[in-house]
Amino acid sequence: MTPEGLLALVLLGIAAPAVPGIAVKTKSLLTGRRGPPALQLYADLAKLVRKGRVYSRTTTLIFRAGPIVALVSLIVAALFLPLDGREAPARFAGDMVAFAGLLALGRFALVLAAMDTGSSFEGLGASREVTIATFAEPTMFLCFIALVLAAGDLTLSGILGTPLAAAWPHAGASLSLVGVSLFVLLLAENSRVPVDDPATHLELTMIHEVIVLDHSGPDLALILYGSALKLTLFGVLVVSVLVPRAGFSGPAAVALLFAGLGIVAVAVGVVESVMARVRLVRVPQLLVGAAALALVATILQLR
Amino acid sequence: MTLIALGVTLILLAGLAAAALARGAAIRKGEILFRGLFGAGCVAGAIPALTALSGDTVPEVRLAPTTPFGPWVFGLDALSAVFLLAILSVGAACAFYGLTYLAHERGRRAIGAAHLLLAVLVASLALAVVARAALPFLIAWEGMAVAAYLLVVLEHERREVRRAGMIYVVATHVGTLLLFALFAIWAGGTSDLSFHALAAHPPFSAGRGGMILAVALIAFGLKAGAVPFHFWLPEAHAAAPAHVSALMSGIVIKMGIYGLLRTVVLFGAPPPWWGWVVLVLGAVSGVLGVVWALAQHDIKRLLAFHSVENVGIILLGVGAGALGVAYGHPLIAVLGFAGAALHTLNHALFKSLLFLAAGSVIHATGTREIDRLGGLARPMPATTATFLIGSAAIVGLPPLNGFVSEWVVYQALLRGVSAGDAIQFAGLAVVVLALIGALALACFVKVVGVLYLGTPRHTLATAPHEAAPGMIRPLVGLAAACVVIGLVPIGVVPPALRVGSLVAGLPAGTADVMGTTAAGPATVFTVALALGLAVAWGLYVTLSREGRGGRPVQSATWGCGYPTPTPRMAYTASSFAAPLLDVFRSFAGVRTHRTAQAFATHAVDPVLDEVLVPVWRGVRSTAAWLRHAQRGGLSRYLLWVGAAVVASLLYLLAGGRTP
Repeated sequence: MTPEGLLALVLLGIAAPAVPGIAVKTKSLLTGRRGPPALQLYADLAKLVRKGRVYSRTTTLIFRAGPIVALVSLIVAALFLPLDGREAPARFAGDMVAFAGLLALGRFALVLAAMDTGSSFEGLGASREVTIATFAEPTMFLCFIALVLAAGDLTLSGILGTPLAAAWPHAGASLSLVGVSLFVLLLAENSRVPVDDPATHLELTMIHEVIVLDHSGPDLALILYGSALKLTLFGVLVVSVLVPRAGFSGPAAVALLFAGLGIVAVAVGVVESVMARVRLVRVPQLLVGAAALALVATILQLR
Repeated sequence: MTLIALGVTLILLAGLAAAALARGAAIRKGEILFRGLFGAGCVAGAIPALTALSGDTVPEVRLAPTTPFGPWVFGLDALSAVFLLAILSVGAACAFYGLTYLAHERGRRAIGAAHLLLAVLVASLALAVVARAALPFLIAWEGMAVAAYLLVVLEHERREVRRAGMIYVVATHVGTLLLFALFAIWAGGTSDLSFHALAAHPPFSAGRGGMILAVALIAFGLKAGAVPFHFWLPEAHAAAPAHVSALMSGIVIKMGIYGLLRTVVLFGAPPPWWGWVVLVLGAVSGVLGVVWALAQHDIKRLLAFHSVENVGIILLGVGAGALGVAYGHPLIAVLGFAGAALHTLNHALFKSLLFLAAGSVIHATGTREIDRLGGLARPMPATTATFLIGSAAIVGLPPLNGFVSEWVVYQALLRGVSAGDAIQFAGLAVVVLALIGALALACFVKVVGVLYLGTPRHTLATAPHEAAPGMIRPLVGLAAACVVIGLVPIGVVPPALRVGSLVAGLPAGTADVMGTTAAGPATVFTVALALGLAVAWGLYVTLSREGRGGRPVQSATWGCGYPTPTPRMAYTASSFAAPLLDVFRSFAGVRTHRTAQAFATHAVDPVLDEVLVPVWRGVRSTAAWLRHAQRGGLSRYLLWVGAAVVASLLYLLAGGRTP
């Protein structure tokens, strides 16, 4: 745990809302519009925090706890990522299970909060969210298997940090495939095109946006910040696999991470401008495709 | 061992007291006696179990041979201890819950006998795990099967209960017969069937050793409910009263796991094929169990299928352990077996919690169909809170106990990935484990969301009410156990590793040398997460009290502008599960009914409904054809006699020899 790593963690928390902003800006520019400023989400968050809250009479404490649990689990998950390319603040053997468990805890809380409203739209969204997660989670573990094989370590610090950098020269092809697979996973887990369209305005067609339909004020601010953070965390996964930074000095590694996050955000924007949302029944196929890439990456390394 | 004998005696006495004092004014006294004796018995039995888990040895007891097949030996090692602990804690919770749960049936049923049977069941379970000879083991095993059968058919006036009881009793006795075969093959011609004698067997030929392991796998797999031997499980667990379902799903099926682990201890290193078969059985049971659970809308059947899923997870651990032994990776072996043992204990805790909470719901509403219920969080807050904890635990979410044991199993498999020989392919089971976890999350979101959240989907005859304190206290106790184990992995992982190294056949003390394999940092993680959640919640409540937005406004749920939602518009469990079941439709065992107005899914069991029942029908109709021969008329019997004489004469004529 280096001072740069700690600094990077704080910076990550501050910069997270800019990542979806950059994606939206890219899409706007590519489709010939001016679009909202890249830092729009900060203004939205400041506005929402000052607003009042409306609670449905159907809801219970679970509805109010949802955004909090989701955000805390994401923040704790961030502690397992080696932001300086070497070592994370927290690590133990098998901590990728904890990382996946934390993502699942956040999802469980948000989806139950959605079910708490008793709205069939939110039930629909909840059902789709867990369906997509069913295919995303095994894919993520398949990526982890490929990384464990390459790095020979059982911690996220190891499979994304120094041992991974050492493995690049002989496992480069396999690791590139893992990077692509993780990028597809990023799109699916964060409800971006081609899995979901965050810009749509019809409740029936949305996944993530429909789950949070009834949240308002500071609660909605927590959720929006949480989804920006989740996108950023997956971005860190992608960047860490594709650009091992253990060879650079601490500050350079952190700078490289944030440059990488910017590129990932632009890539998300480009994907959103060049393709449409796929039909919901095709989403599992997309994710199985990503899993197949990760499987190939694994097989490449089996000796 | 004296303490265990004392504990078992006290539990049986408690049952007798409840049965003897089951009428009139004595009921109150009977209940107090039952609680006191049962509780004391469980505490007495738990003390030596904790001693054995902490690494100390508990001396064995040998009774002089009064029967054939050698002396009766009783002993307690770490493996027995972890099961004994689960039996006693869950047994006590279920027994106390049963006192209140059955109280309203007083006068209509033999409640005293039910309490006695439950005591017999718990006592035989305890004896089965400390038995160290085939004969007492089989006696306890059979006592367990018979007591469980009588408890399953407690509500025998219902037809489906009698059917479930019959399926259960057939399945369990097939298993017992296989156990007779197992011990017979194992012992060969020798007359000493104590486990010491069995363990000291001369090396088996590959064929005989394989036969022993295969028979053990089928016999104990049948008890554990692994696919494809699961067919009796959802029937019996759905038919029994809630506290009996809880005990059966939590403990009785785990005896199959105990049997498998004990077989490994006594047999020694199993060959690789056995590990692979167990691993595949685990993967298949895990995935199919949870997919079938998704298709269920009867809360008890749904929970029963989740037991199939969790047995799958446990078997993945056993398989990883067996492969670790077979390929010479002691750490993987220890972690695999330890994960299996720990998940057995954890599943016992949260599954009995879920069954008991479901029992409270059924008690309060009179229905098991989750699509008829909804919004129960308001009338039943305590039941909802404990059910929610149990759900998060069974899904394997941190910081609860399910996460801890799944993490150990994951670790075993992930270490397999980088081990470098054939065991690498076992590491791919990590993906299966992740799929099971994600599907379980979907299923429990469905259950919690439809059952407790939202609005009621039908008008019930009577308004639901919170369960009586006597039913809530056991729930709170079990939920507390789930939270505590989740918060201190450092307290449970080292004893589990002791169990693991015992099963892996490593010398005593290996686990202590091995250290805690990251249980320390994991404890820091779970405690930090729990603290983080608590602090964030506290901050949120304080800040929103003084927030500038003013008091929250109460309103109706946003219905896209539609102002008056009705119960019929609430999302149903069928609809919730539909997208996932669509993906898995080829083996989900689901029939879909879709009309313009309604959508419903209906689950069929692929093994019971589509294989076993048709086969038995076929056997019966063939037998019915034979029945024409035996109509009871004298003339027809005389005809058969005549035909037999003619046939014998023809046989002789054709050149046959006289005998």
